Formats: sequence, C-alpha cells, structure tokens
Amino acid sequence: MTAPETSIKNRPQFINVRVLRQDEPGAKSYWELHKIKYEREMNVISVLQRIAAQATTVDGKKVTPVAWDCGCLEEVCGSCTMVINGRVRQSCSALVDRLLADNPDEIVLEPMTKFPVVRDLMVDRARLFRSLKRIQGWVPVDSYYNLGPGERIPREDQERNYPLSQCMSCGCCLDACPQYQKIELTQNEGESDEEFEQRQNAEFDEAFIGAAAISQAMLFNNHPTGKALAAERLEALSGPGGITTCGNAQNCVAVCPKEIPLTRSIARTGRATTLHAIKKWFER
Amino acid sequence: MAELTRSQSFFIRHEFGIRRLHSLLGIVPLGLYMCIHLVTNASLMGGAAPFQHAVFWIHSLGPALPILEWGGIFLPLLFHAIIGVWIIRTGKSNTSQYSFTSNKRYKWQRWTGLIAFVFLMFHVLHLHGWFHITPWLAVMQPLGFAQFYPYNAASSLAAAMDQWIWGFWPAFYLVGVMATVYHLANGLWTAGITWGLWTSATAMQRATKVCTVFGVLLGMVALTAWWAAVSMGPADIAAAREKEQEMYDAAVATGLAFDDPHKRAGNDHAEPLSEVDVEAVIIEETIVVEPDSQ
Repeated sequence: MTAPETSIKNRPQFINVRVLRQDEPGAKSYWELHKIKYEREMNVISVLQRIAAQATTVDGKKVTPVAWDCGCLEEVCGSCTMVINGRVRQSCSALVDRLLADNPDEIVLEPMTKFPVVRDLMVDRARLFRSLKRIQGWVPVDSYYNLGPGERIPREDQERNYPLSQCMSCGCCLDACPQYQKIELTQNEGESDEEFEQRQNAEFDEAFIGAAAISQAMLFNNHPTGKALAAERLEALSGPGGITTCGNAQNCVAVCPKEIPLTRSIARTGRATTLHAIKKWFER
Repeated sequence: MAELTRSQSFFIRHEFGIRRLHSLLGIVPLGLYMCIHLVTNASLMGGAAPFQHAVFWIHSLGPALPILEWGGIFLPLLFHAIIGVWIIRTGKSNTSQYSFTSNKRYKWQRWTGLIAFVFLMFHVLHLHGWFHITPWLAVMQPLGFAQFYPYNAASSLAAAMDQWIWGFWPAFYLVGVMATVYHLANGLWTAGITWGLWTSATAMQRATKVCTVFGVLLGMVALTAWWAAVSMGPADIAAAREKEQEMYDAAVATGLAFDDPHKRAGNDHAEPLSEVDVEAVIIEETIVVEPDSQ
C-alpha cells in the first residue's frame, strides 16, 4: 500500500461522518451525523477515535461514543470490517484522503449487513466460525504422538494454497453475496444459552455456507494431512446450503481484501462435489 | 428451521441432486432443443417449403411426438422453471450497491429466466396449445390459442403472429426469445462453474467470450426466425398455403405425413375464420379438387 498523496491542495477543514447506529441487538437503527476536524493521513479507525473522543453530534447533542471493533490495524485480522460508503471493507485500510477524493461531502459508515448487530458498528460473526466447523476447516492432528516429519508439499500446491491461507474470516465475501442472507435469532424466554446456541447452529447449518468456508475447504482438501477429511468436507458442501446455493454473482472475489481467488475455489468445489457424487453413487 | 413440511425436508435432503438436475436440464434437453427449434424456424427465411419440409420431418414421428414433447421438453421445462423460481426466491440482488458486471449478469439471469418462463408458457399455449384434446382445443382455438397447424406450418404461424392487436405477438416474441437466448448463453457459463468445467479466472473469462459468441450467433438465428414469421403479409400467407397443400399431398403419398386433419389448418375446426383464413381455405379447396379431376 502506498502512502496517500500529502500535497493535496484544498484540504477540507472538517469531515462529515454519517454513522448508522444501533443501541442493542434487535433495536431500531438510526443515523447520526458527526463532524470532526480534518487531519492528514487519517484512516477510518482514527476518524472513529475522534468521534468517540468528542461524543457529540453535529447539532451539539451529547451522545454515547460510537462503538466499533478493531484489532491488528494492518488488514490481517478482519475485525474492523464495516460498510464504508456503501462498500464492505476494513476500516483500518480505508484511508480518509482516498474516501474524500471519491466523495468530498461525507463518509458513510454502516455495520455489516449480513450479521446481527451487537452495537453500532460491531457485529456478531458467529455464523462465519460455525461455517468453518461445518467444513472441518483444520488439519486433523492432535500432537499426541510424534508423527515424524510431514509430507513434502510440492511447490505447485504451495502456490495454490498460499493465497487461500490468507483468509482472515472478515466476512466481506459474505456481506456482498446476494445468496447469503442475514440470520438473526433472539433467545426465547426460559431458553437456556445452550438450547439457544443449538437452535442457532441448526439454523446456520442449513443456510448458505458462503465463499470463505468453501475456499477453506479447498485449502485443507489440498493439504497432505488435511485431505484425510476431504470426503467429509465435500459431503458437507453437497448438503443443504452448500455449494449449490452459489448463484455465480462473483461479488465475493471482487470485494475480497486479500484478493483470494474465491470463485476458483467455488468452481473447484463444483468439480470436486460432482466427482464425489458420482463416486458415491457407484460405491453405494 | 424447526418445523418443516415433508416436501420441504425432501427438498433440503436432495437439494444437491435437484439443483444439479436443474442445471443439466437447462442445457440438455432444453438448450439443445432451443437451438434446433430456432434453426428450424430460421429456415422459414428460405421460403415456406424448406420450413414445411423440416416440420414434416419432425412430425413424421407421429404418435411418438407427444411423448417426446412431454418427456423431452415440457416436463423438463416445467421442472427447470419451478426450481428456477425457487432459486430466485433464495437470492436478494444488490447491484445498486455492487455494480460489477458479473453481479449484473446474476440479476439478468434471474430476470430473463422469469421472462422466459412467462413467454414460453404463452408461446406454447399460443401455437401448440399444450393439450391436443378436442374439448380443450374447442375452448382454446376460438380464444386465439393453439393456432399452429404442422401441415400448414408457415401459413398458420404467420397468421397467428398477426392476431389480436397489431404488433402484440411480434413484440411479445421478440422480447421473449431474446431473453431466452441470453438466459441460455449466460446459463451455459454458470453451468460450467457449477459442474467445475472452468475453474480459474482466466478460464472463466475465456468461457465468457465463447458464451458471448454463442449467444450472439443464436440471437441472430432467433432474429432471423422471428423476422421470417412476422414479416409475411396476407399474399405471402396465401402463397405459402398453396405450396403447403402441394407438399402435403406429396408427403401423404410418400408416407412422410399422416392423413391427420387435426394437424391441418381450417379443415374441420369450428373456429370463426379470419379474412386471411377464408382466402386460404378457398385456395386450398381449388387444389384439393385437382387430384380428383385427373
């Protein structure tokens, strides 16, 4: 990433930031306009820090600080993902000077649209992690015994796997996907946490799994130890909400901040599940 | 999903198979049939004779034809369309937010699918009539449906295009057939991903080019077929009917056609005849007399 142009003339004095806020899960969302002083080389995180510090809207009304999530501040953790000027991305790598070049009037911040909002710009991405469990997105070794050195991975496989391994589970691909719909359940009265989680997982497991988990399945199916679970992963992807729900809109690959070849993973899953289904048919 | 009906749970259990069948049927038989259909109809550009010849050949199947129509075309079409509507309901287009080309193609694939569904339902009703049962036809034909008579292929097709308000059917067919061509060409591309034929981004781009060329070519064939059918005037229709009668007599003599009044225009149908039809029937009668007088 190159440093933004610092010699821009006509730098604004103030920046208008419109934030879609929500006080608690399930509550009604509302817009709030904040005005902060322009500084050089800001990103959306530093904008949010200023907003939290002043906690006052443009009308001078005192409000609670806008809540958001962040972690690494270098686009590798995915926790600060939100919808910025209508497009889902990480707020740490969303540079204010570039945003103002596209739209000098204001910066619009919304929470991700496909996950339940916890508060303001924070969302609950439990479904994404559940989807990784669905496809058993791991290498099955428990380190109980010394298994010796692992199998050599040919360079071709390394080059194919490395881009897929960059996935940080940010959920951009899911937020932009027209086939991935929001699931937001509320805990019933008298329902224990375990019962609620079970009900929620049952719902997640039949809904579309999404590009991120499909791609992780291809990553681990191409790993010398990970492929021990290949048939189980393909079975999961052939089930309800699996690969067939994909509608080939290909937004996933267009919005992925790590430029992971997600549509290639999807097509490879299409091929693998085709072969898996034929094999299963004849082995029955 | 706590409470599911039996059919819902059947659908969920067999979703993979159903969706793959949906994808397959779109290409074989439906896409393949559509190519054959449009090429056959485009032959009308060469005159009533080559078109009639092709229709005789198709109808030489005789009693097996309805089996092929229902098993090979109508039932796959209904399955593809009904599952297609269900698929559309699972998605929520977001092209205003993400206006990528592939995202627009996703939206158009759904819209053209819906247009094609409505178009094909009415197209089959308008010309074929869906059911060739006498009481059904007795209701539908006076309403202006089931207007195609295979043994008077060109003339009955052209006359049917001219029914109702001027320009309605030609416009309806133009929109419908173009939507269907897009749906097939783009559907071939998505099917290639679904089945894992093209996997890399570059392969998908190449496939897009191939599917575009295919779509443009098929679109030109479709336009030819459309123009051939809608451009015939009353004089052309009368001339075509004369030619068809000639060919019918020869076809019956050589066993290519069956003596089936049901497949001939204006013979024993109690429908009100339009001016064009009357003219054509008169011409027909003068020719029918000829073999007897010899």
